[in-house]
Parts: sequence; C-alpha cells; structure tokens
Amino acid sequence: MREVGVTNRHRVLPYLLVAPTLVFVTAFTLLPLGESLVGSLFKHKLNIPRFQIPIYAGLGNYADLFKDPEFLQVVANTGIYVLALIPLLLVAALVLAFLLDGRIKGLAFFRLAVFHPTVLPLVSAATIWMFFLTPGYGLWNQLLHLFGYSGPQNWAGNPSLAIFALALVAFWKNVGFLMLFFLTGLQNLDHSLIEAARLDGAGGLRLVRGVILPLIRRQTLFVTTIAFIGAFQTVDHVFVLTQGGPSGTSTLPLYYLWQLRFERLDVGRGDAVTVLLILVLLAFTITNTLMSERHEN
Amino acid sequence: MKRLALLCAVLMIALGSGIAAAPVEVSLAYPVAVDAPITAMLKAWSQDYMAKNPDVKVTLIFSGGYPDVKTAIQTAIQGGAKPPTLAVMLATDVYDLVNAKFVDSLDDLVAQAPAGAAFVKDFLPAYMGNSYYKGKLWSVPFQRSAVVLYYNADLFAAAKLAPPKSWDELGKDAQALTVDGGKTRWGIEIPTENPYWTFQPLAIGAGKNVFSDDLTVNFNAPEVIDAVQFYLDLSQKYKATPPGVQASWGTSTQNFAAGKTAMIIHTTGSLAGILKTAKFKVGVMAVPGRKIGTLASVTGGGNLYLTAGHSLEERKAAFAFAQYLLDPARVAAFSQATGYIPHRSSATATAEFKAWMAQVPQAADAVAALASAQPELATQNLNGVKTIFNNYLQAAFNGTQSPTDAMNAAQNASNKTLADYR
Repeated sequence: MREVGVTNRHRVLPYLLVAPTLVFVTAFTLLPLGESLVGSLFKHKLNIPRFQIPIYAGLGNYADLFKDPEFLQVVANTGIYVLALIPLLLVAALVLAFLLDGRIKGLAFFRLAVFHPTVLPLVSAATIWMFFLTPGYGLWNQLLHLFGYSGPQNWAGNPSLAIFALALVAFWKNVGFLMLFFLTGLQNLDHSLIEAARLDGAGGLRLVRGVILPLIRRQTLFVTTIAFIGAFQTVDHVFVLTQGGPSGTSTLPLYYLWQLRFERLDVGRGDAVTVLLILVLLAFTITNTLMSERHEN
Repeated sequence: MKRLALLCAVLMIALGSGIAAAPVEVSLAYPVAVDAPITAMLKAWSQDYMAKNPDVKVTLIFSGGYPDVKTAIQTAIQGGAKPPTLAVMLATDVYDLVNAKFVDSLDDLVAQAPAGAAFVKDFLPAYMGNSYYKGKLWSVPFQRSAVVLYYNADLFAAAKLAPPKSWDELGKDAQALTVDGGKTRWGIEIPTENPYWTFQPLAIGAGKNVFSDDLTVNFNAPEVIDAVQFYLDLSQKYKATPPGVQASWGTSTQNFAAGKTAMIIHTTGSLAGILKTAKFKVGVMAVPGRKIGTLASVTGGGNLYLTAGHSLEERKAAFAFAQYLLDPARVAAFSQATGYIPHRSSATATAEFKAWMAQVPQAADAVAALASAQPELATQNLNGVKTIFNNYLQAAFNGTQSPTDAMNAAQNASNKTLADYR
C-alpha cells in the first residue's frame, strides 16, 4: 500500500513542480504564439475600416513581406548586426573570463568594471552612448581621433555606420554578462585535468583549444544561444540611438515589428514577422543544441 | 442574531455611502519628453481641480513621448482594459486614431456643455485643421508649436549681418558665420534624424507643402525636390552645415545655446529652454523662403483627445477637466513656461500674456511665425507614409540617391501604401 502511495506521489510530483512554469509558458508564450500564427494568415489592419475584420489571406502576408524592400533591408541589417556582434562578443567574453580568472591585483575592481554595464537599464546605456557618439565632440570620436581616425563623425546618422553604432552599444552592455558564464565555467573546471595536460606538454593556445574549451562546452552553448537571441531582441538601443535610420539602415526585427504593429496598426503583417522571428530563433537554438550534443557524444 | 443583522446593516450603509461618494475617475496620459516644467504645472492644476471638484479624482500618467502614449492607449483598448480617459497625442494622428476607433468624438459633450460652442470657437483656426475628420470634432489643441529659425543675434550683429530674408541670404549668412569648417562653429544646424517636420518649412518656402490632403502627397513636386537640393547646398555649396543627416533633436539646441552653431531650425517648444541656457541675444523668426521676403513655417504639436470606451459620466467629467486645463489663463501660463504657442484667442488677449510678450519679444516673434505656417504632414497611415518620406529624405541628404530619384521613389512608395485607403 505504502509503495503504491510513493509511486503515485512520484508520478504526480514532477508535474506539480513544473506546473507553474508550464502555466506561465502557456499563457505568455504558447498561446500568443498560436494567436500570431493564426493572425499571420489574415489581412488585418486596424486603421482601414474594411480590413478591421480580419480577411483570410493564406500565406499572403509572408509573400508580401518577402517582396517588400523594407523587410529585405531588415533581414540584411540583422545579418550584418549578428555577424558583427556575436563573434566579437563571444571572443571578448572568453578572453575577459581568462583574464579575470587569474590572480591579478585589483581583481574585484576589474570584475566590477567589466560587469557594471550589465546592471544598467538598456535605455540608460543607450543614452550614455548617445552622448559618447555625439558628432564633433563626443568621447567616441575623440578616442578614435587619437588612433588617427578622420572618417564620418555622425555614427547614428551615417548609413554605413549606424548599425555598427548599435552593435557597439550592445557589445559594451553585454560582454560583462556573458563573461560571467565563462568565468563560472572556468572556475568549476577540474584542475587536475589541466595539470595532467600541462604535464603532457600542452600549454598556451593548445591547452585552451584542446582541453579548456571542450570542458566549458556547456557554457559556450548557453552563451552562444543567449547572445544570438539577445541580438534579435535588440530594440531599446534602436529607439534611443537611431530610430532605425538613416533610411532604415539600422532597423532591426523587433523595432520593425513595433513599427508594423503599433505605428502602422498592421496586425496581420506584424504577426507574420513574429512567426518568422520565432522560427529563426527556434531553428538556431535547436541546431546549436544538437551540434553540441553530437560533439559531446 | 441581532448583532449579525446590525453588522450587516452597518456594512450595507457604509458600502452604499461609499458607492455614492466614489469620485468619478479621470486620467490624463501625457508625453513628458519635453524640456519644460510641465509636470509640475499639471500636478498643481490637477490638485487644484480636485480641491474644487471633490467628486472627481484626477490621475496623471506621464509617458515618454507621443508614440508611447499612443502605444499605451492602443495596448489598453486591445487588451480589454480601460485606457486613460484623456490623452495628449499628435494632432496629425487623427486619421489613424479615428479609423482604429481609439478615440471618441467630442461633439455631444460640446453640445451639452454650457459654454461648449464658445469654447471650441475660441481656438485659433490654424490649429483646428487636425481636429475635424468625417465631419466630427475629435480633439482640441493642447500644446501646439511651429518650426522656426533660431539665430544668435549677437553673432549677426558682430558680423554686421541682418537676419536672412531668402534662401540665398540664409546660405550666405550661415557661410559667413561658420568658423574653422564647422570645427569651432557651424553656420546652421537642422536636426534631421527624423527629418520630415524640420524639412517642411523648406518645401513650403519653395512654394509647395509636402502634402495636399490625407490621401495626396507631393513628395516629387519640383518645389519639394528644390528644397532637398537647398538642404544639400547648405553643406555642399555654402559649407555652412554638417554634411548628410545631422545632429539629433536634443543636441542641436544644446549646440545652439553653447554657441557651437549660429542658427538652428527647431520647434517653438524649445524656446523656454533655449532662453534659459543661451548667454546671448536669441532671435526667432519663420524660416526664410526661396524668394526674397517670403517666410515659411509648419504647425506641429499635440492635441487633447478623449479615448474610447468610457461611460457618459466619465466622458463629461473628462471634458470638464479639459475645459479647466484649457482655460485662457492656464493656456497663457503654459505658453510662458514652455514656448508652446497659445492656441486660444482669449489666451493671447490676457494682460499677463501681453506683458510677457512685451518682456520676451521672442515669444511674440514665435506667435508671428504662425502667419506663414502651413499644416504638418497628416495623411492616412501616417506612420507608414512618414517612414517612407523620412527614409528617402535621408537617402538624398546622405547622397545615396539624387534628390529627384529619392523623391520619385518616396512618391511611388507612398502612393502604393495609400492605395488601400482610397
């Protein structure tokens, strides 16, 4: 009798434990996602009386998006932003983790210095950088000037630089946060393995590539995933620094989504962008996890 | 049992009296992102109003800017919640707000209010253009502005220059006042990170506003293309302004007040802030037009809307509070504190405002600029059209497209996006 009770409890308990998360995820992720998926199949514009009642359009919203130069520019902007930001962010976070894992004087100060942008609200970080990037006398241009830079000054207003201005702020804001996960990984390493590798003659880059990086693969997977998702979630910097300009060259997916849904009141197309965004992130996360797992096996 | 009955009776009386005495709630969503002591004024006025009207509870909701207020209203309505009763939103947003049923008409309230018709009639006609749509009244002016040219009068005097009377004079004056290729001082700066509004006076000065009605834009009219070319001339021909898309909205006023630029094209809403920080004589005038002696400006700013989804009692209370806020003396005081142009005839007639205009002639100059003002860009699907126009203006400013190509592309894209609304 007692065994049956225990078994039942073991059957129910896990469900009870995950229930709050499940409710939360269902209410705030799955249901809205389902609603967006259905909504994306309808032409639905709140500011046009004849489209206020959704009209079934099949995949029309998706087809329109891929014919729209504005959306194609958003895709291109996102590609540039992700390629400029993510590799740099990962390498810098890892290097900083190595540096701050050692025994150096003023370690606490350096850790705080690297980590402190993380605790700033996103809008504050962007506002600080708006002043750094001010044309003419902003600190960023002054710094570049010391290194011989004599190019355009107005980063947020220049079509070739605006997207990099956004990447710069995101880098400064996030590198300390990502470093923290690498640092945790490094501090939890089994040092006997590293010592053994050293005794076998491994050192420097070989030790890092052959021993340390495989051992912190879990952290790398996590950091890569959240960095990638974070890059797609960038919106505050865009609002403060560039408003997607000039000429849409710094419009990123969430800002575009906000424009469609809240400025232009185009519900159907906004839903289609939401679905595409989730598909891309899901595809990346699954691929990234599978590749990492396969490597582990 | 008796005790229980007594307790129930007391509770019912207490609840009943509580319900009877519950004040009508009126909330006002206000975009606070302006450089002026507006929050303090609104707080003081709402306290005063509640003291005089204990049956009304006023709640002020301060949001970031106009888009934030609109987003908040939209989110509340679509989420099934009650939006703030009153909201200050862009006057030009009227088409989208009405079409999407986010706002209610004021007609019935005006008809029922004792001085309703007189209240509406007192607003300056120049600022009522965006208040009516489909034959109904949807909003009244609240904080209205115009785009003007601010100039450093001391620098003009030192260089023995008179304020410019035409594009040519504007370019030459700006050139004469530029120092060290702009490193020390530019002749003129025009914030163009969201350029349609500050650009409009140039187009109007060339002879054509950028739109004719809610479905007709004139982006590729020859006059508009000439205005784009004049913007380019200021940097390329006169070397008097930074090339391409320029400093942001906020930094241009700082640059002007700090003497880093001799002129800026900006809103009258910045007048109070500029006068407070500038340590030189500030001149204010409408933007010179292409032909000598012509001037141009464009209206702008926010109107007070009544949002959808409220009971008649709440709507009446909200309209009464709106009338209180827009009392001539308060409109005049608001203008003095901010630089927004008084939008009621009776407000400009108050003794206090006349005295202030005599004391601060720039305020009178800002009001005078209204004589040459035309309406701000207002179309159906306004934000879609604005994004297109801004994008192509910036493409022309940054030299990625010629003025003609950019404006033709803007016209075609806008016609396409407006097709659904015809």
